[in-house]
Formats: sequence, structure tokens, C-alpha cells
Amino acid sequence: MKWWFSRKPREPFIESYREKTSPRVPSKTPVAEMRFLAIDAETTGFDLVKDRMLSLAFVEVIGGRLRVSSSHSWLIYQPAVPLSSAVSVHGILPAETATGQQEPDVLRELLPRLEGAVLVGHHVGFDSAMITAALKRHFRTSLKNPLLDTATLAMDALDAFAKTGYPGQSTPSLDEVCAHCGIVPVDRHTAEGDAFTTAMLFLNLCARLQRNIGRPLRAGDLPLAFQ
Amino acid sequence: MGPSRNVIPDRIADALRRFPPFSMFTAAEVAALAAEAEVWVVPSGDTVWKQGERPGADVLFLAQGRVEYIWTNEGRSERVDVRDVGDVLGLTAMMKSEPYRVTAQAVEDSLFYGLPWPRFKVLLDQNDAARNYARRHMFWAVRVGSQIEYSEPTESSVAGRAKNILQAHLDGAQMVQPRPLDRLLVCQPTATIQEAAAMMAAKRVPSILVVDEERRPLGIVTSNSLVKHVIVEGLDKQTAVTRVMAKPVYTVSPNSSATAAILTMLRERIGQVVVTEDGTPKTKALDVCTHKDLLAQSGHHPAGLLREIRFAKSPARFRELCDELETIAQSYLDAGVSAIYLGQICAELYDELVQRLLTLSIDELEDQGVKLPKTAWAWMSVGSDGRREQILRTDMDNAMVFASTGSAESDERAREIFVKLATLVIDKLVAAGFARCQGGVMALNPRWCRTELEWIEEIESVNAFTDGNGLLRATVLFDLRFVAGERALCDRLREKIYSSVGANLPLQHRLAELIVDSTPPLNFIGRLVVEAFGGGDEQFDLKSRGMAPLRDAARLFALHYRLNRRHSTGGRWDELRRSVPERAEVAGLAREAYDFLLRLRTLNGLRRGDSGRHLDPESLTKLERAQLANVFDIVRTVQQAVKLEFQTEAKRL
Repeated sequence: MKWWFSRKPREPFIESYREKTSPRVPSKTPVAEMRFLAIDAETTGFDLVKDRMLSLAFVEVIGGRLRVSSSHSWLIYQPAVPLSSAVSVHGILPAETATGQQEPDVLRELLPRLEGAVLVGHHVGFDSAMITAALKRHFRTSLKNPLLDTATLAMDALDAFAKTGYPGQSTPSLDEVCAHCGIVPVDRHTAEGDAFTTAMLFLNLCARLQRNIGRPLRAGDLPLAFQ
Repeated sequence: MGPSRNVIPDRIADALRRFPPFSMFTAAEVAALAAEAEVWVVPSGDTVWKQGERPGADVLFLAQGRVEYIWTNEGRSERVDVRDVGDVLGLTAMMKSEPYRVTAQAVEDSLFYGLPWPRFKVLLDQNDAARNYARRHMFWAVRVGSQIEYSEPTESSVAGRAKNILQAHLDGAQMVQPRPLDRLLVCQPTATIQEAAAMMAAKRVPSILVVDEERRPLGIVTSNSLVKHVIVEGLDKQTAVTRVMAKPVYTVSPNSSATAAILTMLRERIGQVVVTEDGTPKTKALDVCTHKDLLAQSGHHPAGLLREIRFAKSPARFRELCDELETIAQSYLDAGVSAIYLGQICAELYDELVQRLLTLSIDELEDQGVKLPKTAWAWMSVGSDGRREQILRTDMDNAMVFASTGSAESDERAREIFVKLATLVIDKLVAAGFARCQGGVMALNPRWCRTELEWIEEIESVNAFTDGNGLLRATVLFDLRFVAGERALCDRLREKIYSSVGANLPLQHRLAELIVDSTPPLNFIGRLVVEAFGGGDEQFDLKSRGMAPLRDAARLFALHYRLNRRHSTGGRWDELRRSVPERAEVAGLAREAYDFLLRLRTLNGLRRGDSGRHLDPESLTKLERAQLANVFDIVRTVQQAVKLEFQTEAKRL
């Protein structure tokens, strides 16, 4: 479909991704049949325009089971990376990213794996926006996966973090929720460690939610966000 | 720090390696296993698997939470076991590839690591320690109904044990040491059978070596070959020995392994090997060894100790031998030998020791000009020693009996001398590392050194109204066993005990009450002990809470049914199982349970250097705790059986 000026055709992996990824999930779909990817990105800061991703990782959860062998992580080469305060959080020095891969290459490898998955993360909106920003820069496209924020899920599943209606209630941090659920976080502030921790948290919260509801979970039970 | 590729598998591997059997694998092996793991959470109340389902492809490691095993039978559900953090689930079903026998239900949100069974199995197959752990601990802990499923010694696990024992022998193995040449009995090939046999008889050896002029072995004539050729076939006694000698001879060199030489003999089905200078028949013969000679030399073998005890003289040497016996006991227990059997082995050796000490002490007395009274006497073991359960030198329980001499004064005089003898023996035992009995149950105590008539009077006087101390004394006496002296004296006392107590139902009732009185540390649903004493730092008395009821019940049943052939608690349960069909099941379980406790206690004692009766729960592995809970469940079953058998009977009286 060409309108009033011609676009360069998209690359096939993007076409495939856009074709196979539905932005919505029917609410009756059993959670056991859905594919989740717990993702996490370490960045140079919180500015979607100026800041860049330094590393990226995901862990797959299919049929309610986390598959260790499916986990994957990338270190991303950022030549013009500004040395920011975020370095003190994740400890990735710009010099170290030189051993990483080029951002477009990482996206090329990443996108096929995102096909048809629900992205899970703590404040996953940010990670998703960072990836989208990178996709826009290189491929003029954006993510369309449904998102599941474990912070929101925690507010649904755990009484301790339930919505109170008070103004200014902040969403719980990953550390807070993990502490509440008795999960010991793995290597905090590495992409892989946070992705794994988030995946464990996701499994744990789903179990609690299922116990509360008293039947196997469906997509509609989860606070999915659609982009 | 850049992102490491292995953060996630490492995390899982770390969690696994905190628990056996994973702690027995190398880090790399566990990491490889972890890299293929799956992780999931089962919410509380959901089933992990259902009874009758076929196992999937994964073995389950419980990383968080708690799972109960529910057994459903004929419409009734019963909780049979609990698993918590660190347990591996579903291994039995996997190993036997049979459906799950129980339903596993999460009672807390439970986090599982699924590990690929084929890879795990390869690891288990390669690692003996881990496999034994899995076999011994995990199967054991699966209890269905009142039945515990014991690990049947499969061929490979028997082989595994045998290997361990063999290794224990090889570790302490000694070399073949030829004895002085003048012990070697040889003859020329020209000698006649008559001459050879005469020499064998004169030297009291079972064989004679036929050698050439250079004393190189040509063949060997054994008493067996003489029986075969001369007596059966009627060969003339004047024939040359070459006609009947066995050849070629099997030779070993001096200072080779005695154990290896025994194995050669077993393999070749021969009774003797010849030691030559270089181990071939081409050099001079030095000695002929029978399997008995070698067994005694093979080290770390009880037979070797027995021989050493027979020749030992100094107190230091006895102590050394007893220390060695404890070392052997530990290696046997570690190798998985039944504690009951081990107790029997130790009892043989300690009996030998006492006999030797008696001989030495009698000599000593004679040197002092004291002669033993001319009356029959016997040294007997009572209490735990009498039951052949003394593996460690915890304390001694012994007593003496002698035939009445006719008058009270002469009895007293005799007693004085016997007490003197007993004092010498007991001093030697103490020097060898035994502790004196705190209760004074020793033959040097005139109360425990009595005439036959006095003993019989005492046995007859025990009744339902005897006070606690008297009853305790009686039960110690009920376990008497002959050690040295005149066996008939002990046999008569034993018969008396069985006839007197066997007929005294009120007394049996009283004894039954004592057994039923102690409650095993179990809660209503049969679990708990273990949790209750899991956290506290107080110690747990294994002897009074677990072993005593089983031991006393065995004695009581033995007295009641007059089963007097066996002495040990294990043996009594065995005998009960064979002779009393309606008690067969409980007797079988009780024997296994007692064996487990005895073993646990002995290992604990070896670890702590004391009697081992006080157990620090922290020192138990998780699975040992589970087994212990099952054992106490059996104790309760036994108490129930005692209650039914004796209290109802007592009411009828």
C-alpha cells in the first residue's frame, strides 16, 4: 500500500515480526498457552532521546515454565556514549561496550525472538520504549508486543502493594516486591540478572494470583498493557 | 562488570549444590545440569503430579516451598510424607520408570527446578557416592501406609558395598609375610605317601610341599588328595607322592598383597598358595599359606584381629587392637553394613578378648599362689553386651556364675576368689579402653558374682511388684549370654528365665507398661519430631526414646513366646517374625528400624567419641531426619502391638 510518497521497503525480519505479533491478546487465552519474555535493558540514563542501551537480556517463560537454556543477553557497542551517573548503577564502562555488538545487529537478533510474545519487566514500559527508540532510529518501526509490568501485577496480586487511592502512591520497586515474595535477586543491575529476577517474580506473582482467583489464569486476569 | 553469560545457570547451580546429591558432583557437572533446567512455581493447593501419572522428562528439585505426598487407596486419602527445600522429587518413579505412587500436592507456593532426567541419570551412574545416597536415602523415605519401602539390595548396590568393604580391606591390607623356614614341611618326590602323611600328622598341618633338591616347589599333597587317592581309591601307601600331588602349584612372592593372594585362591578354588623367593616356581619355596593364614594377615579384617587377640599379652596391645576394631567398625558402617550384623562380629571379638584376659588373669592369680575353687564357673555378658550390640567400648556389663559348693561359708570363700579374678579381668578391660559400668553391673561386684542357686532365686523373685530398680536389674539379667567357662551354667539360667518369666503374665504386663510409657517424639499425624527438634539446640536422646522401646519390646515378646534361641534385639525380632505369623509384619519393620537406630547411634558415637546416644539434630542430613521420623512411627506401631498383646490379656486375669 503506497500512499503519497514511496517508502523504502522494510527488511524481511521486520515484516515477519509485524505480521506475527498481535498487539492484543484475547482475554480468554489461558496463561499456560502464552509465551512471555522477561526483558531488561541497562541504559546510560532515562532520556529516551539522548540515552542509549548498553546491554539487553531476556528469559523465556512458556507454559508457565522458565527455560534457562533460552535465556539470552547482549552487550551493545555504543561509540558515542556519554559517561553518566547511570554507570555507577550498572557498572558498565563505555570502554567495555567496545566488545559488544552494534545496536542494529542486536535488534536484528532480538526482534525475531519477540514475535508473538508478551514482554514482562519491572516498569517494562521504559525498557520497551528504549527498544522502540532504537528501532525507530535504525529501522523506522516500533514494538507492538503487549506489555506486562510486574510492578502493576504486584499491586494486583499482593495486598501489601494494593492500590490505596491515595494520591502520589508510588509503584513498588523490584527490590521491594522481591523482598516481599522471598526472592533473592540475582546480580542486580545486570541485564541478565534483572531479567531472571523479574521472570522469577512473574512466576511467583502468577502463582499467588491463581491461588487468589482459584482457577488457572487467563490473559484477562493479568494487567496487560497494549501499545 | 559486563553481563556474564552464565548468571542464570550459575544461580541455579549454586542453589542445587547446597544439597546432596548435587553437592557430590563437580561444579562443572552441576552447571551443565543447571543450564538445561526449567523453573516454575506451583501455587499452594495445586498438585505437582497425581498418583498413577507417568513421570515426565524432568526430575524435580524443590527450591522453595513444601510438598506433601498423598496416598489414595480404596477411597481414603492419607498423607504419607512431606518434602521441603532441598529435596529431589520423583526420583523413585524415574529410576524405576513406573507411574507415581502418590499424589504430590504443594502446601505452600513451591518453586521447582526441573532437571533433565537423562543428563541427571548419567551423572548418577558415574558417581558412586551420589548413587548410593539416592538409593539409600530417597527410596527409604517413601512410606506408603504403614509400610516403609526399604531399598532392596539390588545387584549393583551390593556390588557397590562389596567394593567398599574390599577397599577397606585393601587400605589396611598387609603383605604376605613368610614365616620361619623351619615351619615349612617338605619332602622329596621319592618319598612315599606313608612318609608324607606321617609328617603331616606329626606337624599337624593340612599339606606337605613336594620339592626338588634346590627346594623349588614341584607339587603339593593335601589331606584332601590323601582322602581321595588313598582312602577312596585305595592307592597303596608305599606309592611315591608324585602320584597324588597336585601340580603345578600356585606361587606368590613375599610382600605381595595378602588380599590378592586370597582372591587368587578363591578364583582357582585351591586351598594353599606357595610363597617362593621371586613368586615363580623357579625359585626356592619359603612358606605355604592357607586361606586362614592369609585372612589373618589381610588386615582390617576381623579374622586378623581375632588371631592377634589370641596372641596379645600387654594391656597396650589390647588397647591398640580394640582401637583397630573400632576403625574397622566405622569403615563397615560407612560401607553400609547392617549394624546388627556388625554387633555380632564385634561381640565375637570382645568375647575372644575376655577369654584371653581370663586366661591371663588366672595365670596371674596362680603366680600369686591363689588357686581357683574346684567348682564350675562361667563368665557371662549381660545387658547390651549380652545382646551383642556393643560395637563401641561404651561400658561393660558382665557377671559371673558358679556352682554352689555346698555350704554358705565355702560359697563366700569361692566368691572372694572369683571377685579377685573378675577385678583383674576388668582392670585389663579398662586398660583396653572400656568404661566401667556406672550401674555397677560388673562381675567384680559381689551382687553380680553369684552362685547358680542365688541367681535362680533372684530370677524367681522378680514379679509384678518388684520396684523399678529391681526390674531394671532383672531386665539386664534377662539378656545374659555365655562368654567363657562352663556353658551349661548359663544355659540353665537362661532356661530358668524363660520358664519363670514366660509363665508370669502379671510381670509381662508390668514390663509392657514400661515400654508403652515412653512416647516417641511424634505428633498426631506422625511427622513432626523432626521439625520440632530441627531448630532447637537441645540434644536428642536416641537411646531412651527410640531404641529402648524396640529393645524392650523384643525382649518381652521373646520371653512371652519363649523364643530363646537368639540373643540380639535384631535376632529376637527375626525369630518373632518367623515363629509368630501375626507379629511377622511389625517384627520385620521393628528389626529394620532398630538396625537404623543402632547404626545411627554408632556412627554418631564414633564421630563424637562417646556412646553416641545423644544426637545433635543439626548433624543429621535432611533425609536422615525423614527416616528418623519413619522409625519413630514404627516405634509407635510396636508400642501399639505391645499394648494390644499384654494389656488386654492382663485385664482377663
